Amino acid sequence: MDSTNLQTVGLLIDIFAAAILVTAFLVVSSRSLVFYIRLFALQSFFLGIVAFLVVLGYGETHILIAAVLTIAVKAIAIPFVLSRVIDRINVHKEVDFSINITVSLLLCGGMVILADSVAHSILDAQRADAPAVSRVLSVSIAMMLIGLFIMTTRKKAITQIVGLLTMENGVFLSGLSITYGMPLIVEVGIFFDILVAVLILGVFIFRINKTFESISIDSLRSLRE
Amino acid sequence: MSDVLTFVLPALLQLVLVLVLAPLICGIIGKTKARFQHRQGAGILQPYYDLAKLLRKEVVISSVASWVFRCTPYLVFASTCLIALLVPTVVVPLPLDRVGDIITVISLFALGRFFVALVGLDTGSAFGGLGASREMSIASIIEPAMMLAIFTAAVTAGSTNLSIIVAKLSSTPASMMNPAHLLAFSGLFIVTMAETGRIPVDNPDTHLELTMIHEAMILEYSGRYLAFVEWSSQMKLVIFLALLSNMFFPLGMAASMSPWALCVGGAAFFAKVIVLAAVVAVVESTNAKLRLFRVPELLMVAFILSLLALILYFIIGA
Amino acid sequence: MSTILFALLLGLPATGTVLCAVFHSRRVLETITVAGAGLTFLSALWLVTTVMQVRALSTPQEWWYADGLSAYVAAVVSGSALVVALYSTGYLRRQVRHRHVDGRQLWLYYLLLNAFLFTMMVVLLSNNLGVLWIGSEATTLATAFLVAFYEREGSIEAAWKYVIICSVGIALALFGIILTYFSALHVVPASGNALNWSSLMLVAKGLDPGVLKLAFIFVLVGFGTKAGLAPMHTWKPDAYGEAPAPISALMAAGLVNVALYSLMRFYILVNKAVGGSFASTLFIIFGLVSMAVAVPFILIQRDFKRLLAYSSVEHVGIIVFALGLATPLAYFGALLHLLNNAIAKTLLFLTASNVRMAYNSKIMRRVTGAIKVIPVSATFLLVGVFAITGSPPFGLFVSEFTIVSAGFAGGNVVPAVLFIGFNAAIFAGFIYYTSRMVFGEPHPPVKRGDADTLSLLLLGVLLAALLMLGVFIPSSLQECIENALTVLKG
Repeated sequence: MDSTNLQTVGLLIDIFAAAILVTAFLVVSSRSLVFYIRLFALQSFFLGIVAFLVVLGYGETHILIAAVLTIAVKAIAIPFVLSRVIDRINVHKEVDFSINITVSLLLCGGMVILADSVAHSILDAQRADAPAVSRVLSVSIAMMLIGLFIMTTRKKAITQIVGLLTMENGVFLSGLSITYGMPLIVEVGIFFDILVAVLILGVFIFRINKTFESISIDSLRSLRE
Repeated sequence: MSDVLTFVLPALLQLVLVLVLAPLICGIIGKTKARFQHRQGAGILQPYYDLAKLLRKEVVISSVASWVFRCTPYLVFASTCLIALLVPTVVVPLPLDRVGDIITVISLFALGRFFVALVGLDTGSAFGGLGASREMSIASIIEPAMMLAIFTAAVTAGSTNLSIIVAKLSSTPASMMNPAHLLAFSGLFIVTMAETGRIPVDNPDTHLELTMIHEAMILEYSGRYLAFVEWSSQMKLVIFLALLSNMFFPLGMAASMSPWALCVGGAAFFAKVIVLAAVVAVVESTNAKLRLFRVPELLMVAFILSLLALILYFIIGA
Repeated sequence: MSTILFALLLGLPATGTVLCAVFHSRRVLETITVAGAGLTFLSALWLVTTVMQVRALSTPQEWWYADGLSAYVAAVVSGSALVVALYSTGYLRRQVRHRHVDGRQLWLYYLLLNAFLFTMMVVLLSNNLGVLWIGSEATTLATAFLVAFYEREGSIEAAWKYVIICSVGIALALFGIILTYFSALHVVPASGNALNWSSLMLVAKGLDPGVLKLAFIFVLVGFGTKAGLAPMHTWKPDAYGEAPAPISALMAAGLVNVALYSLMRFYILVNKAVGGSFASTLFIIFGLVSMAVAVPFILIQRDFKRLLAYSSVEHVGIIVFALGLATPLAYFGALLHLLNNAIAKTLLFLTASNVRMAYNSKIMRRVTGAIKVIPVSATFLLVGVFAITGSPPFGLFVSEFTIVSAGFAGGNVVPAVLFIGFNAAIFAGFIYYTSRMVFGEPHPPVKRGDADTLSLLLLGVLLAALLMLGVFIPSSLQECIENALTVLKG
């Protein structure tokens, strides 16, 4: 792969990584459950494209399957499952917060800066030439932090799933950025785990709705001490 | 004599271009919105007729209005014209780039906004005060967002001089696709919608208390005052579109004063502004105006996009 | 030869799961589960003896690996699984008889129990850190529906929190594993091996210390969440409290040890690569914090199973603390404590289940005079509580004493003193509540009766084992622990 092509691929990876980060921010800025799920689908789609670009640019063909899986499972299957869950339980499609949007956005902006400094400490340590994709590490750590933030400050059970999946996306992206992805069997196993986790959580949401008539986290407060 | 030719004449021509183009662009946007709503809508040239009509009409002034009320239309018009002289439109390097850079532009916008807000308070009507306070709270978030977006472009070029920014960018076309740039562009786009009072921030076609911001401040104006204020806001839109297109995608700009280059540059400018105007119209037609207390959320998104742009620039590099 | 062992240890639970999926009759399910667990336990013992001669086993492709540590923990875990499987037969029969559980739920229980054992074995035997991760997440998924087994309000809340919190932790652990992989990529010749623990240990000195330290922090938080280390323990009281008692027992005796095992693997690696006291200090801090956090919650508890959950938090803290002391004596204490804790927790959870079924309530205030209603279980309860709080002559006293001595010997006086203090407070709390439950007058008069003879016999065996371990440690066990110890020292 000659150098100008590598540069183009690197540029495209940067653009898509930035787009992924923007989708995470848009989730933080939105109130609509349906929009969350669509944004997550878009985010996973971009993630799949980044994986494809890594295959294209660096010739790591074992990521091809992971890329396909990302798009098939995370961009199509999981959003489908989640929207079916929302349709069936017929709840208010608006999400309540414990921290309002404006402050949330500012905090997430701060997290990106924090993520960048963590990423630098990881990458500076490695004296060997880091792959060009490693700039994306900051974005992936930021995604993990933002995913965690979404989980803790939004009050619907489904948003906790979206936050968890955002975190997983961030971890996958970090794997892509510094290690060109892990061995194939491991990646497949991880996907399988995530899919089953979402299915289980989906079933739980049905049960929560049946028991509490709502899926607000506030109702999950009965167990104390 | 050569000074006049190299600097003054091109600048004046640019000013005339913006002055003449502004109502046309607003007419195009209005027509597009009407078509979206399955109406015929007013013609593209309607804003010209409106301006002409307003200039002929009598001025009615509130009895409690002060000199601020009478001066502001001219002041705002003058400052907008000055901005029009400074922004990149057809030619690069800009004829008057040593007179003012990007910070001057921002400050001039702020000056205009300040005086219009004062006018809102000056007339003593409730609507005016309402509009002024809303406008200022929006400005408090929009100003930093705009500055961050513009600084991203400036930092990439290493200077706040508009000619240098545009020249640097047009010499390396690949950097136009830099994610930091794209993010700054989207941030600035949302800022444009807010600054020029378009849906989803403010509705320019309404005079209902619930939904006015900009219109509320200038509600008391009539006759030639209203003509100048309207013309200024139309020019503001074109100026923002020019900034959006030329600070981030400076394609086809004239590098010399030759007639051929000028034609190409003019056509490119026109095309870019029309495309962006169409985008504005589409955005206006496909969105509902936000409830007032949700507006800061949208503006904060613009701020964050611009902030991200700056951060990404430092992470990813030019 | 080694392949056979691995095939047995992994294949038996897997086959059990598949068979349980097919058959639905209660008798068949019980037989499959008990037989599966029993054979797995025997295979684990075989592994223990093999590893004592060979030092380390692995399959040709190096996917699976077993050394003294894996064998020891595998034996403890599969032993607990066997006890739980045996008890579950009587437990579920009772539940069915009282119409708390229907046929379909029974089938689901046995299916997931087998799957649970399988996923735990995957973690214990995998060489590849990625597979270790997959197994850990799989244990959460396998137990999710077990925690939510009863369709109560509390169960669904507990299961939700459990899956969410553990998945978050595990995601962080995955990032730590990625960082480890990253630091190894430049050093390990074949990139396919860079995730293998055995290969990593060989090149440990060449790994970047900065990256590895950061990786360790993430892994500690991640797997610490699975183990129930404070402050990531918040899911434990809910999950243990709401799950069926045998499942809580297996989680407290099996899952905890599996998570600790993962922590230990990384601990060994980081100690070899980074050196110094980075990892040990972290372990000591987290261990002490866990013990400290457990104290107030034990003292003001109302529900017996949640009480046991906090006790589990405390004991995980003790083991991690001991590992952090980093001397051979401390390691010995930690490993011994692992075994003792497993036995004691199993005993107590299962006894608690008997008490609960007799009184139809988990709230301690409602349980009084147990000695008159269910004398055998009540005795087991009282004695078990003494055991778990570290009184002589039971096994936990020996292991805790070893750990404290190691602390004083190593110069960690303040932590050791804190250790004693926390233990004393917890002892007081436990004894207070238990004596109220066991003695006094039962009211309103309850006559549900005790568990069946097999279950009681089982509990008696556990108690006897605890007693024996308190008095002397058989030489075979000693050898086994020392074998594991050499692995810990790196």
